Amino acid sequence: MDKKLTTLHINKTKYQLPLEGHETLLEVLRDQIGLTGTKSACSEAECGACTVLIDGQSVLSCITLACDVEGRDILTIEGLSQNEELHPVQQAFLEKGAVQCGFCIPGMILSSHALLSENPQPETEQIQKSIDGHICRCAGYHKMIDAVKYAGELIAKKERES
Amino acid sequence: MPVNLSQRRNGKANSLMKNIPPEDLYVNPVGKSVARIDGRGLVTGQAKYVYDLKLPGMLTGKMIRSHVPHALIRNIDTSAAEKLPGVKAIITAKDTYNIKFGSNEFFFPHTVDQMALEADKVRYIGDEIGAVAAIDEDTAEAALKLIKIDYEPLPAVFDMMEAMKPGAPLIHQAMGNIGVLLPVNFGNPDRALKEADYVREDTFYASSAAHCCLEPHNSIGQWESFSDKITLWTSTQAPFKVREALAKTLRMSLNDVRVIKLAVGGGFGGKLEMLPMDFAACLLSKKSGGLPVKICYSREEEFAFSRRKHAMLYKLKSGVKKDGSLSAITGEVFADGGGYCSYGPTVLAAAIMRIFMVYKIQHFRITGYRIYTNTPISGAIRGFGGVQSGFAIESHMDLLARGIGMDPVEFRLRNITSPNMTTINKMKITSNGLKECITQSTEAAGWTDKHGKKLTGREKHLKRGIGIGIAADVMGSKMYKSHESAGSIIKIEEDGSVYLFTGAADTGQGSNTALSQIAAQALGVSFKRIKCRAADTEITPFDTGSFASRVTFIAGNATLRAAKDAKLQILKIVAEEYKCDINHLDIIAENVINLEEDVVLMNFDKALDLCYSFEYGQQIIGKGTYNPTTTPVDFRTGEGNVSGSYGFEAQIAEVEVNTETGEVRVMKMWDAHDIGKAINPSSVESQIEGSLAMGIGYTFYEDLQFKEGRVANGTFSQYRLPRAYGIPPIETILIETNDPQGPFGAKGMGEASLLPTAAAIANAIHDAVDVRIKDLPITPQKILKALEEQKSKKEGRSL
Repeated sequence: MDKKLTTLHINKTKYQLPLEGHETLLEVLRDQIGLTGTKSACSEAECGACTVLIDGQSVLSCITLACDVEGRDILTIEGLSQNEELHPVQQAFLEKGAVQCGFCIPGMILSSHALLSENPQPETEQIQKSIDGHICRCAGYHKMIDAVKYAGELIAKKERES
Repeated sequence: MPVNLSQRRNGKANSLMKNIPPEDLYVNPVGKSVARIDGRGLVTGQAKYVYDLKLPGMLTGKMIRSHVPHALIRNIDTSAAEKLPGVKAIITAKDTYNIKFGSNEFFFPHTVDQMALEADKVRYIGDEIGAVAAIDEDTAEAALKLIKIDYEPLPAVFDMMEAMKPGAPLIHQAMGNIGVLLPVNFGNPDRALKEADYVREDTFYASSAAHCCLEPHNSIGQWESFSDKITLWTSTQAPFKVREALAKTLRMSLNDVRVIKLAVGGGFGGKLEMLPMDFAACLLSKKSGGLPVKICYSREEEFAFSRRKHAMLYKLKSGVKKDGSLSAITGEVFADGGGYCSYGPTVLAAAIMRIFMVYKIQHFRITGYRIYTNTPISGAIRGFGGVQSGFAIESHMDLLARGIGMDPVEFRLRNITSPNMTTINKMKITSNGLKECITQSTEAAGWTDKHGKKLTGREKHLKRGIGIGIAADVMGSKMYKSHESAGSIIKIEEDGSVYLFTGAADTGQGSNTALSQIAAQALGVSFKRIKCRAADTEITPFDTGSFASRVTFIAGNATLRAAKDAKLQILKIVAEEYKCDINHLDIIAENVINLEEDVVLMNFDKALDLCYSFEYGQQIIGKGTYNPTTTPVDFRTGEGNVSGSYGFEAQIAEVEVNTETGEVRVMKMWDAHDIGKAINPSSVESQIEGSLAMGIGYTFYEDLQFKEGRVANGTFSQYRLPRAYGIPPIETILIETNDPQGPFGAKGMGEASLLPTAAAIANAIHDAVDVRIKDLPITPQKILKALEEQKSKKEGRSL
C-alpha cells in the first residue's frame, strides 16, 4: 500500500512519518513513536482507554485515522506534565487515591483535563457524564469524581498564585 | 535474643511520638492514606505493562484453537502454514511432553485435567491445540487459516443439568460429567428440619460473568539457548504459580524458569494460573531459536478463551424456630464448569463453606457438584464462589426471616458467628466484627425508619425499599500447594534507602504500597525511604499469589518480620557502640532512641553510617517469611480451618422500583467492613467501592451468555459493565477489630464487598414491591413479570 509522508503535531513536537491510509492514531502513537501511555482495551470505541486530546477535545485514537489528524494539536498523557511536576489532574488522581491498576487512567485523566478546561468547577453529574465513556473495572468511579473536583480546586489555586 | 519491639512502643517513647505532626503522612504511615508508591508512573502513563513491552527481534504469537465444541483430533496439517514466508515456528502437542496441569493439585489431584496443548481431544470452542509465531500479526493470522485440522466430531453437551443425565456425552472420564463432588454434612439436618417451626425451599440461579480486566492477558516468552533458561513476562496475579506450571509442562527445574510481573491492568481471579498461551509463548521462542514471542489477547479472545465465572444453581431447603434461630440448612449446588477443572474444586468448596464463617449452624447438609460442559472454562473470579453463594444464601435467609415475621436484621444478629469461636466444621474464628458491621451499617442507613414502611418516591409508582446482605471472607487459602507462605527481604543501603523485595503480586490493588507502609512503620522510618520490587521469581522471595484477599495478611506478616529483623541488626550495632542493652533501644519516627533514658541517640542516617562504618562494616539485610496457622480441609467432610483469620461485612441497599417500567434505581449503598486495621484507608475504601461496583454490575446486567458453546455477548458493546453514570453513592464504614495475627492488626480485604450485593438489592426490591427475583441478573422484564404475577394472584386469577 502507498505510504504518504504525514506530519503529526504530538505533545508540541512535530513528527514526520510515512503512513498508510488505514493506520490508526493509536497504532502510530504506540508502535511507531513509542508513546505507550495511550492504552487500548477493546478496539471498538467502547472502553475509552485510548483517549487522546485533539485540539483540546477528547477523541478515541483506536477509531481515528492518523492521516486525518495531520497538523492538528494532539495531546497524549506523556505531554500533560512538564518535567517532573505533575499536572494538577494527575496530582489530584494520585492524592485522592483514584488510581488502582492504572490502565484506564491516561484516558480518564485526559478526558477530565478536557472537561476542566471548559468547566473548571463541574458538578458530580457533569463529571459522571464526561467520564462515562471510560471503563474502570477496579475502583468504582467515586474517587475519580472526587479527584476531578479536587483537580479543579488545584487549577484555581495555581491560577490565583500565578 | 527475643525482643518484642511492638510492646516497647507503648512505653516512654510516646513522648517522642508526640512530636510528629499528625499531618506528616510518611512517618508512621500505617493507618494513613499515603499516595500509591507506584502512582506517579501510573498517572503519567510511564508505568510499563507487558502490553507495552517490545524486545529486539520480537515475534507475534497466535493460538491454534478448536472451532468445534467436542471432537477427537484425527490430524493436524501445518505444512502449508510452515511454508508461508514470515512464519518462524509452529507448535502442536507433538512438540510437548503431554503433561497435564491444573490449579488445585494439592487437595484435588484428580482434577489436574488440562494439557498445555491438547493432543487427542477438544472439549470447547477455543480449546488450544497449537500455536504459531510469525514476524507480524497479519502473517500469524494468515498462517492460522492455512492449518488444516481433521476432527471426528462428538456429540456435545452445553447445559450442566443435561450433562449429568445418563447417556450424556462424556467430556472427561468422570461419571455423569461430575468433575468434583463435594458432600458437606454436619449434625442431623433431617431431624432438625422436622423439629423446625418453619421450613421453606428456594431455588436460585446465579449467572456466568467475565472478569473484564482492562488489560487482557499478555505474555512474552523468551528462551536463552546458551543457558537453556526460559523467561516469561506476563500479566499475572501469581507469578510463582505460573512458574510452577511452566516448569512442570516444559519439564524444567523451577530455577530455569523466570516469571516477571510488570504493572498489571487488573486480575480479579482471571490471571491466577498459567494459560496455554503462556506455555506457547515460551515453547515458540525455543522453536524459533530464542526470539522473543509475544502473545496478546484481543478483547474478544479475553471474553471467549480465558476463564469465566461458574454459573450456579442453588436448591436450598432450610428451617428456623419461631424465636429466629436457624435449625438447619440443606440443599444442593450445581456449578457449570466448562471444559476443564481450573480452580473449580476450591471455587465450589468456597461456595459452600463460606456459610460457616457467617452463620452459627449445627445441622447442615449441602452437596456440591461441579459439572463439565462443552463450554469455556469456569475458574476463579473475585469472590471465589462466594458471589453466587452470597446471592442464594442471603436471599434465602431473608425469606426465612419473613416466613416467621422477623426483621431480617434481627434474624441475622441472632444467628451470626461471634469472636473467638470454633465453627461446626472446625474453622477457628478469632477477631470478628460482623455484629458491629450489621449494627453500624443499619444505623447509618436508617434501617428502622425505612424497612417495611412501603415508602414511595416522588411519584406513586416509585416504590422504595431497603435490604441487607452479610458476608465473610478468608485471608488466604492453601489451594495448589502444601503451604502458602510469603517471603520478604529488606535491604538497607549505606545512604539509608530501603529496598523491599516481596513475592506478592500487585495487580493494581495497591499491595506494594500497603506492604511498604508496613515496612516503614515496623522499621520506624519514613515511607519515602521505601522502594518496592515485587513479583520476579528470580529476584524476590516466593509468594503463592494475589488471591483470597491474602496479601495484606500473609505477605504483610512476612514484611513485618523482615523489617523487624533488619531493625534488630541496626540496633545490635548501636547497642554495641553505646555499650547499652539492646532491649532499651528502638527506632521510632526516623530516630534511634534509648527508651530507658527517653533520649534520641542518633537519626536513622547516622545509624546506617555506623552500620557501614570501618569498625562495623555490616550490611543490613532483613528477611521474613510467614505461613498462616491453619489445618488442612478434609474435602470429604468439609472439616478444617482454611485461614489464619476471617474478615466480615454487612451491606445495605436502598432502592426505588419503578412499577411501570420494572427499572430499579439503587439510591445508596452502605458497606461496613471488618478489615482488622486499615493500613491505607483510602485504598481500603477504593477496594470496597470497586468491588461493590462489580457487584452492582453482576446484579443488574453482567451475564455472560453462550449459544451452542460459543460466547454470545463477548464484546464491551454487548456485555454491559458499570459506568460512572449510574453508580450510586456508597458509604463505607471501616470496622477495626485489631486482628491478633494480622500485621498491625490488619486483615485482607477486597473480595468480600461484592458477595452480598446482589442479595442486598434483591432483598430491598422485595421490601419495596413484595416480589422476589431468584435468578440473576435482575432485569426490568423479570420485575415486570413478577409484578404481573403478583397482581394476578391478588385478583384471584391464575395465569
